[in-house]
Amino acid sequence: MRNTVMSKNKVMVLLAAVVMASLVLPCRAQTVPAASEMGRLIGVLKSDATYEAKVTACRQLSFIGSERAVAPLAALLGDEKLSHMARYGLEPMPYGAVDDAFLAALGQVKGKPLVGVITSIGVRGDVRAIAPLGKLLTATDADIVEAAARSLGSIGTADAGNVLQAGLATAPAARQWAFYEGMLRCGEKLTAGQPAAAAAIYDVLRASDKPHHVRAGGVRGALLARQGRERGQLLGEYLRSNDYIVFAAAVQTTQELAGPRVTAALAAALADAPVDHQLLILQAMAERNDAAALEAVYGLAKSGQKAVRLAAIKALPDIAQATGPVLVDLMFDADGEIAKAAQDSFAAMSGPQADAVVLDMLGSSETARQLRALDLMGRRRMSGMTDALLKASRDNDEAVRSASIALLGDMAEAGQFPMLVDLLLKASGRSEIRAAERAISSTCTREARLGGGNIVIHKAVYGAVGEGGRANVTKQVAQMVESGSASITASNAGFGDPAQGVVKQLQIEYSVEGVRQSVTVRENDTATLAASVVPAAFIDQLCAAAAKASGEQKAALLRVLRTTGSPRGLAAVVAATKDADRTVADEAVSLLCGWPTAEALGEVLKLAEATDTKTQILAVRGAIRLIPLQAASDAKKLAGFAAIAPRVQRVEEKRLLLGALGQVATAESLAIAAPYLDDAGTRNEASLAVVTIAEALLKGPDAAKQAAGLIAPLEKAGRANNADLAKRAGDLLAEAKKQAR
Amino acid sequence: MQKKRSGLTRRTFLRGTAAAVAAPMIVSASALGRDGRVPASERIIVGGIGIGNRGSHDLRWMLPEADVQFVATCDPQKARREAVKKLVDTNYGNTDCKVYSDTRQFLAERTDIDAVLVTTGDRWHALASIMAMRAGKDVFSEKPSAMTLAEGQGVVETARRYGRIYQTGVQRLSEGNFIFCNEMVKLGRLGKVHTVRAHIAPWDAAEMRHDWLPEQPLPPKDQVDWDAWLGPCPWRPYNAAYCSGGWRGHYDFHTSCIGEWGAHTFAQCQEAIGQERSSAVEYGYVANESGDGMKTRFSNGVIMTLERGNKWWRGSCGVRYEGDEGWVAAADGYSQPDVSSPAMLADFRKIVSDYLARTGRAPSHMRNWLDCIKSRRPAVADEVLMHRTMTTVHAANVCMWLKRDLKFDPAKEEFVNDAEANRFCSRAMREPWTI
Repeated sequence: MRNTVMSKNKVMVLLAAVVMASLVLPCRAQTVPAASEMGRLIGVLKSDATYEAKVTACRQLSFIGSERAVAPLAALLGDEKLSHMARYGLEPMPYGAVDDAFLAALGQVKGKPLVGVITSIGVRGDVRAIAPLGKLLTATDADIVEAAARSLGSIGTADAGNVLQAGLATAPAARQWAFYEGMLRCGEKLTAGQPAAAAAIYDVLRASDKPHHVRAGGVRGALLARQGRERGQLLGEYLRSNDYIVFAAAVQTTQELAGPRVTAALAAALADAPVDHQLLILQAMAERNDAAALEAVYGLAKSGQKAVRLAAIKALPDIAQATGPVLVDLMFDADGEIAKAAQDSFAAMSGPQADAVVLDMLGSSETARQLRALDLMGRRRMSGMTDALLKASRDNDEAVRSASIALLGDMAEAGQFPMLVDLLLKASGRSEIRAAERAISSTCTREARLGGGNIVIHKAVYGAVGEGGRANVTKQVAQMVESGSASITASNAGFGDPAQGVVKQLQIEYSVEGVRQSVTVRENDTATLAASVVPAAFIDQLCAAAAKASGEQKAALLRVLRTTGSPRGLAAVVAATKDADRTVADEAVSLLCGWPTAEALGEVLKLAEATDTKTQILAVRGAIRLIPLQAASDAKKLAGFAAIAPRVQRVEEKRLLLGALGQVATAESLAIAAPYLDDAGTRNEASLAVVTIAEALLKGPDAAKQAAGLIAPLEKAGRANNADLAKRAGDLLAEAKKQAR
Repeated sequence: MQKKRSGLTRRTFLRGTAAAVAAPMIVSASALGRDGRVPASERIIVGGIGIGNRGSHDLRWMLPEADVQFVATCDPQKARREAVKKLVDTNYGNTDCKVYSDTRQFLAERTDIDAVLVTTGDRWHALASIMAMRAGKDVFSEKPSAMTLAEGQGVVETARRYGRIYQTGVQRLSEGNFIFCNEMVKLGRLGKVHTVRAHIAPWDAAEMRHDWLPEQPLPPKDQVDWDAWLGPCPWRPYNAAYCSGGWRGHYDFHTSCIGEWGAHTFAQCQEAIGQERSSAVEYGYVANESGDGMKTRFSNGVIMTLERGNKWWRGSCGVRYEGDEGWVAAADGYSQPDVSSPAMLADFRKIVSDYLARTGRAPSHMRNWLDCIKSRRPAVADEVLMHRTMTTVHAANVCMWLKRDLKFDPAKEEFVNDAEANRFCSRAMREPWTI
């Protein structure tokens, strides 16, 4: 549902962009005129210019009008149509003459203009207007009464407050809202300099006969206007009140009140409060960051109703760093939800005290505590803990050792890379070796040199996974990379929709500093280009370690080298294919055949000559994958396919070969693919390859010359089991026959 | 009026909350605070003001929430209020949604309503929010939520004055990709952040229209109450285009291309760099029509640049944060943020879930507001965040209008020794409207 809404929303944004552009682009004007325009603008006001011209003049005088513009604008204050714009011009002007003009108009203008003048006086806070405004509080026009009450509040003196209080006593119920607003404004103005006067106003407003939000405002003001014991007493009363309105207002107000007394009042109210009240108090205590609340909150965290326990646990880390040990106990609570809440709370804590608690846990003799400590170290991103982690990496328990090594990998800096390699060389147990391998790999990725400029996009295609439309999006992807993005999302939003209703994919061939790579992601996934090169020093250390390592450790180092795609790594892997240890040699063969760049092709082709079936299959598959990745001519690629074709024995590899051949559209690739049309196990794949190649050839410059040679293969492709494919073949056959005539 | 009940009692609600591991935020149904008469089992009763296209999206997010009952809408345009009624009634399977055309009447009569969704055009956002809070309602306001600095101040003061919960509709602060980006800054994963980039709308300009569209015959008041539609803005003759979105780009009604998206992206940027309680202090004028490339500086030294095109993003409302150890970026439509190093994304889920656990916030902007109505805690995009980030929008606009560099003092909330610029901090509202 939400996704649908969001998606529609994005469509709306795009549509809005088009509509808005068409609606608003014309007639933009400079907002602020030159100062020299003032005389002309004043002239417009005094002339018989159009209403629109006078409105514009008033607006522009609000920006540039000097004191000379005051009188011409003030002359319009009684004008029913222009009074507002006169105020618009006058209100922001920093001249005493403006106040004089409004005050004078107060006794002269009527109706709506009077409402506006009253409002402007309030905005400017002219204390001279208190008495005349007070008289307007009994006017018959509701708008006038409300404007006067609000403006008196904005003026905000004790006198204004007294006038409002007197007016409230006799105001009809329907108009009392404005008096409340005015009194609250007065209270705010008086709180700093005349707190007693402010308190008196708020005491009226917090009475139980007032509307709920006025009472809430009155409670807040009454607390803010008081100090010391008087405030504490009032706060205590409200925090124990059964009236939720004033209780909640008091709790909310504590967020504006600093000091231990307030914390103490909250803590004192906490123990005996109803559950609903406890929840609200706990949240307020969390906001205070005051260690004085620790004992009361911890008591609720340990036992009681679950909702309250969770709220207390949530509050603990905010209350004080000293709550670390408390949360440690709760992390092992029998209730999993409580335990998780404690873990989440602790993970959010920062500071050296919390760090010390985690290190203490790590030093425990209990495996569960050690593992929890390691989890927290990762979540809290505790840096500078290498020594402690190294020590843990020598623990008796393999799970602790593995988790420590993994964490070292998460947080290690470049200078600590040799340490990680050393850990791998000393690792024992499959889990530990795997952890060390992951640590080294993630450090390689993290420390890899960045830079969009290193990336060259060779080809990018967005389109159907199987049959269907495809679009060449090389230019768009290159632009994205050029703008600094190394992550490209495969979406219609980015590339249009070349195959409606069909699942699509994005294939990108690119190179990073000359190292050719490719990546394919499904629609709505993001291809993260390996826009990085692992530091040469890392490669050196990995190769050196691989040369002296053996067994599982050596295999792990070779796997890391494969991820770097570096030429030196390739050489190390090639050498390892002849390792005396069969396990290492097998792993090296597998890695070589899965090498990410075409540089491995020569060695892979050699392996394809091997006599053992497993190696040959791996090599044939690797070669078929690597041949198209070469930065070479179609002819060279075809020569590669031709060379490997005799080694392709099993139907699985034949299908791979046919898939690859479709990417090289020449008469020669057609010749390699055509024989497979006669094999039931490969007929469909061969038909697809033939159709793909034929489509390209019939669109090419030599179509007429090639057409005759396409007829026989296309006739066979027309017998494919796939109806759509058969139809495409049929259509192409007709075209080929036509061109061959 | 018959209300659809949730069937939840306060106690069952509390139990449900306790079981919600993904959102450990504790809420209390009895915190609604309507005259102290509210049974804790009730839903939050919500009304709407000015719900059109964008508001309907908000409404569709809200209606599925189990603890909400939407009961009434107010709009000076009959077609819009009737469309909302149809949507709501269809959702609830009844005909209970009431319609109003007069905001003051709506707020005065509907004392049963707890909270209001304000999705008018920009000109009414702050005023309607203030009026609703004065009437004791909590408020969700669409953005840009203030036309001037004074309007923003009015929203902040009113929310505090009456203890109301306010949320501005910068929903990306509650979306995973953008949360991740902001957390990457706060967790120091980018090193020292020196530059943040904020997308501004690619249509329109900073300079806006001051002219009127040609006058057209005024429809019957029951169809379009034109005076109410204009609200606090200077009067001008009716033209139907205004009512169908054509108000954008007009100085009286709009906050320019900077406010259109800057309301979102400035909020995100300022929250990321810990400046959501302040505003930019320096604004560098750029001689183009939109403010594209303007550099603003915050008191912590971070530069925020305004970016109009798609140089940095391939979606709308993008942000990009650049530190000395890497960068992150996101915009609408991304399946995941762009990052300077793929390894950064390894912790994506953990970082977002840790944020949600730490803050107790829901990964839904609407849900966050509803939770805060109950808990009385500030919403993720509360009135202060709205006001301070919109202040940066206003100041950037003033910079473009005056065509010169400006300095702003966030403590005093005024331009520094600059009477000319300070004239733009407020606009007199048309009577009888006032904040």
